[in-house]
Amino acid sequence: MGVAARKVSAKAVSPHREYEPYLEAKWGLKNHWYPAAFSHEVPDKLVKGIMIAGHEIALRRGKGGKVYALADRCAHRGVLMSKKSMPLTDEHLTCWYHGYTYGLEDGILKTILASPDDAQIGKVRIRTYPTHEKNGMVWVFVGDEDYKPVPPLTSDLPMRIPKDYDPNPVAYILDDNTFVRGIHRTGDSNWRLAVENGFDPGHILIHYDNQLIAATDRKLALGWQPNAPEAVELMDLPEGPKGIMNRYDPHLKLYNYINENAVTGMKVYGKQEYYTRTSMWVPGVLLVEHWPVTNWAQYEFYVPVDDTHHEYWEIIVGHCNSEEERKEAEFKYTNFFEPLCLYQFNNCDLFAREAMQDFYEKMDGWNQEQLCKLDAVVVGWRKLAARFNRGIQEPPPRFSHNG
Amino acid sequence: MTAGSSLAESADQREIVLRFEDGVEKRITVNGGEYVLDAALRQDIPLVHQCRSGSCSTCVAQLVEGELRMDPARAYSLIPAEVAQGKRLLCSAYALADSVIHFDYPSDLLDEPGPELFVAKVEEAEMISDTVVRLVLRTPRGIDFSFQSGQYIRVNVPGIDQWRSYSMASLPRDLPKLEFLVRIIPGGAMSEYLTGRCEAGDELEVEGPLGAFILRDSAAPHIFVAGGTGLAPMISMLDTIRRRPGVNPPMLLSFGCASDSQFFYRDEVELRAAWMPQLRLRLSADRVEDPESGLLQANPVAVLEPGDVTDPETVAYLCGPPRMIEAARERLAALGVRPEHIYAEQFVAS
Repeated sequence: MGVAARKVSAKAVSPHREYEPYLEAKWGLKNHWYPAAFSHEVPDKLVKGIMIAGHEIALRRGKGGKVYALADRCAHRGVLMSKKSMPLTDEHLTCWYHGYTYGLEDGILKTILASPDDAQIGKVRIRTYPTHEKNGMVWVFVGDEDYKPVPPLTSDLPMRIPKDYDPNPVAYILDDNTFVRGIHRTGDSNWRLAVENGFDPGHILIHYDNQLIAATDRKLALGWQPNAPEAVELMDLPEGPKGIMNRYDPHLKLYNYINENAVTGMKVYGKQEYYTRTSMWVPGVLLVEHWPVTNWAQYEFYVPVDDTHHEYWEIIVGHCNSEEERKEAEFKYTNFFEPLCLYQFNNCDLFAREAMQDFYEKMDGWNQEQLCKLDAVVVGWRKLAARFNRGIQEPPPRFSHNG
Repeated sequence: MTAGSSLAESADQREIVLRFEDGVEKRITVNGGEYVLDAALRQDIPLVHQCRSGSCSTCVAQLVEGELRMDPARAYSLIPAEVAQGKRLLCSAYALADSVIHFDYPSDLLDEPGPELFVAKVEEAEMISDTVVRLVLRTPRGIDFSFQSGQYIRVNVPGIDQWRSYSMASLPRDLPKLEFLVRIIPGGAMSEYLTGRCEAGDELEVEGPLGAFILRDSAAPHIFVAGGTGLAPMISMLDTIRRRPGVNPPMLLSFGCASDSQFFYRDEVELRAAWMPQLRLRLSADRVEDPESGLLQANPVAVLEPGDVTDPETVAYLCGPPRMIEAARERLAALGVRPEHIYAEQFVAS
């Protein structure tokens, strides 16, 4: 076949190329803050092992209660130190195997239990990760060790909703006097599928027959169809978070609430009009305002674990100004939010993402998908993530041979 | 001393200090009648070079002190003003005194494996504008070939045995694919091949990587000035920066073509600006016939503004025809870019 260069008609750039870096981000976006554990999962004497974007990380609470994050693999023989906790002092992480003992603060080898005069001491080092703890959650900054300056945690969280966006703004996850409770569990899908399901305005069909919806008689629609470009608002806050918001605000009328379908006769039964609003933030954080009930908010984090798993974090956040309010919130959380919303309702989301995984992993889904009008928001998110990430995480060396 | 013969016959041995961009110094001795480059190669210092005949300018270096004289018996590509500034082509220069010369590339470039000779296959060739072909070659299995963004290879035009040089627009990670932008010139050897006889699977003799025009590590603002197919190494550099660890520096790409109808790769450069908020574009054409095109009617040097250089550490990369390079050097220096922070690759249409 000849290829002697002929003039090709000016072809439009493939829509995929507009978010090409996102398609490369199988292992996640690097140099971002991610939730790593609940505070209660890192008790004093435990070495807690986690994986984020292929980084194996050991969490250990040290002096003054501060949580430190270090590479979990011992430099000596490469075992995961979190496999067996050996808490000797509150300034060190000691490997259970041969006693390599690292400083929590700098990761430098301070001693070897049975070889205290060893030449390796002071020379060997494991890397450390910046951490932050607030309101019962531990965050870790994951990415290149030399990334400077480390941006503030707030730049990787949804913006604090200002009054002009909502006269009655929901609570902010890092504020004092805030109730923050939730769960996390591992989903068997790539993190991007989880993100895209999270705020896809067409996905609510999966909640059509959900008990929460039936029990509260909410009119959730079969889908929310955007009818103007302004339906999706880009949030590019200087030095702040980057996000994309579905302007479901009823008075803006930027979405058609599709409540029935003529061809199939399908319709929603709920009678109660219900308002909520969703926004998605780099590196993959969903904020659902006024959910599960008005004045409350649900944050969701889809943290890349490896290329085929994500850690699904579901966090309920509410204003809480007194001990009495806290007790009431605990009651609601334990008996309503957690069982009925975080599990029963969001199980449908986990189900949907996992159902997508094979297609995107094994059947060239990113190129084969056939998107529709409902998906403008999804594409908007992809472009946002392609532009505002702080780097694309490379596969860890042990995986790079199969990319 | 004026006669070439007396230079070549001089028997004195001289000591030359080679000073590299990273501060590393190496020393060589040059015999009377020996070209400096030959002396360096003899002493196992593989200075960057290519044609060894005074034409390509690849081996250019800056004389800091001492005396190096260009061989008057050779036609060489330095203009008198450059010689006056102390530029020398080491492949054709004799040492008349102990000297110090400076290279605008780091010494570790010498540690890179030298150029390989191999046969690559044509995978694609498409005209992306009236005057530019995008050529994709595939390197053979089992060769040890890589390169740095900004470098080029030489390709032997099939059936004619003439060599042409092209910078990679692709990245080492794209190997075994190599992508190039080739300007089509009526009557040009490669142009006639690409627009006429080229077939997928054709085997082309290739030598590379070559060149010291490589991306440096710098967090300072970057200015890229590209004329025509001089865009190729810039695409490779931008893609390297995007994937490099750390925060992207502020970047400006000034890219110009002869006319708006000849403008090419606009979508490609706009994509990169979409992916990297730190990248600004300034797109121009010498002749703009369609005012709707949104291109500035100017050349890529004329559109550089004082506000583009606010940091004295700004680095600049230039690739295009010699006249553009010279104009850009002058303009950028006037705007405050330090001359040693200006890196250039010039090409000659053929």
